[in-house]
Amino acid sequence: MADRTLHGTGATPRSGVGTVVWYGRDISLPDPDDVKVDPEAEGRRFANAVDTAREELASEREATAERVGEDEAAVFDAHIQFLEDPTIEEAVETMIGEGQPAPNAVDAAFGEHIEQFEGMDGRMAERADDLRDVRDRLLRLLTDGERVDLGDLPDGSVVLAERLTPSDTAQLDPDRVAGFATVTGGRTSHASIFARSLALPAVVGVGEALEAIEDGTEVVIDGDSGEVLVAPDDTERAAAASDSGAAVVDASVETTDGRHVEVAANIGQPAELKPAVERGADGVGLYRTEFLFLDRETPPSEDEQYEAIRETLDTFPDGRVVVRTLDIGGDKQIPYLDQPDEENPFLGERGIRRSLGPDSDLFATQLRALLRAAADGAGDLAIMFPMVATVTELDAALDALDTAAADIEECDADVVDVEVGVMIETPSAAFMAGELAARVDFLSIGTNDLTQYVMAADRENERVGDLHDPSHPGVLRAIHRTVTAAHEEDAWVGMCGEMAGDPDLTELLVGLGLDELSMSAVTIPEVKTAVSDTEYSTASERADRAQLAATRSEVHTTLDT
Amino acid sequence: MTVERTVTVVPEAGLHARPASAFVQAVNDHEAEVSAGRPDGDLVQAASMIAITSLGVGQGDDIKLVADGPDAEAVLDELERILTTPEGELDTDDG
Repeated sequence: MADRTLHGTGATPRSGVGTVVWYGRDISLPDPDDVKVDPEAEGRRFANAVDTAREELASEREATAERVGEDEAAVFDAHIQFLEDPTIEEAVETMIGEGQPAPNAVDAAFGEHIEQFEGMDGRMAERADDLRDVRDRLLRLLTDGERVDLGDLPDGSVVLAERLTPSDTAQLDPDRVAGFATVTGGRTSHASIFARSLALPAVVGVGEALEAIEDGTEVVIDGDSGEVLVAPDDTERAAAASDSGAAVVDASVETTDGRHVEVAANIGQPAELKPAVERGADGVGLYRTEFLFLDRETPPSEDEQYEAIRETLDTFPDGRVVVRTLDIGGDKQIPYLDQPDEENPFLGERGIRRSLGPDSDLFATQLRALLRAAADGAGDLAIMFPMVATVTELDAALDALDTAAADIEECDADVVDVEVGVMIETPSAAFMAGELAARVDFLSIGTNDLTQYVMAADRENERVGDLHDPSHPGVLRAIHRTVTAAHEEDAWVGMCGEMAGDPDLTELLVGLGLDELSMSAVTIPEVKTAVSDTEYSTASERADRAQLAATRSEVHTTLDT
Repeated sequence: MTVERTVTVVPEAGLHARPASAFVQAVNDHEAEVSAGRPDGDLVQAASMIAITSLGVGQGDDIKLVADGPDAEAVLDELERILTTPEGELDTDDG
């Protein structure tokens, strides 16, 4: 029954089963030669559609502001302005006057501007997306009048769509939606990132074959294998329905022989906090502050950053929140910062190099915000510096932190002690782990970058994808060396790359001596269960052998025996 | 009454995103007909988000504003305020 299975790209390693609700399909324009058009009636239809669209946008704006935040809701303001744009209105009215049906006139009026914006870069191209959203909304209202309200779907719905925009995904309620699949999109599309952050089963990029699935059909969304299974049998249905992953473990976990391992969440946007708590995170092992700086035109103020960190600390009153200071450069571009074109951006001015250089003012502001939040928030804050390669850089960053603390004290505010740490992402940092650890409380290994730099293999380059695997002995030795050197200095060691969230590698990582593992919320229950099943003494022996292996296949043989 | 003014744009985003939104909103909140454009170019309808955004006006660029109507001075004052306020300080509810 292979024809029941459609293949796409899995966005999240989870399965769900539910009933198909198509979103935004079947917009087919009438053939103007087939319909007799009454311009006056078409004009009224258009005006009514604009009114209804305006009401929809206003209520979605309100709901999004409440659920996600005011910044995310601002996209709806632009949509309302495009909806009311006199250029569009005049063009539509002219075409209706010439005998076009309203939907065709709308399609043509928007189409011209969408094309115009599409050809431009960055910000202008985003306007094309906005216009497309508004056009599709009007066309839906004009062609069938029915509307699927994404914020109010029946329990157990699986949403199928051509694509899901940011404003669409912001409305999906993970408590009710069993998953989604889209015709277009890849692992890094907005919808995929959203699915991962909310642990929602999702398959993207299925292609046009998806369109054959009818509304009301039962499907399994397997976000792990990237498959959409139509009309599952009882066994398949039960397997997918029971895949809430492993049971959520709320308490902290230890190995069978009593070694405590902290299991924490990586957070890249506020919407990820709730799933992290729900899936049993002990705390936050990596809070990426970049999201505070993205999708805006100027940097966030000290108070804005304070509020965001404070909220996170209050979300984990008994836990630790490791906040990484601004880590831009490399593949991360922020339009309002003056980032130079570099021949090798991954080997260029990024992370702490910018914070100690062109972004030193931003860095000072961020450190003050962090220290103020630490004094007022419930949980324990830890501050972590990214991309450190030398002890000198770390000393300079620590000086900046002292200056920020002195600034705050001058304003008669409280300064509390916070843990300070360094990310180990460069081979130099791994070699210098002892000296770095002697100056801080912890190290956190970022395996994505560390693997890239140890193996000299670009993580985005598929031609060397085979080399980009942290289970190569070269990377394992860097990890082993880092952990051993840090422990000699009484520093604890965490890991916050993709590797930390792979339950198949949990035993190895515990055996290598990692004290903390931090990952996307979705795999936390599996990893917690894997830690509880691990015997540290055995794992440690195996890990010692694994890191001494000569090849990756020898590593895996060691782990399997 | 027709009045004309040329303003140098201060927000870092130029006439994009929130500043553009505030600009178009302010035009719609007044009676006067407003057109805008680069000093050496054609003028477009200032009430159109599409037209305003398409101008591609950046920080430091000059923009010429022409208003015709009873509250022409008032609308230009308001537009000048929006165009000369750094974005972080722009209070969009005030417009």
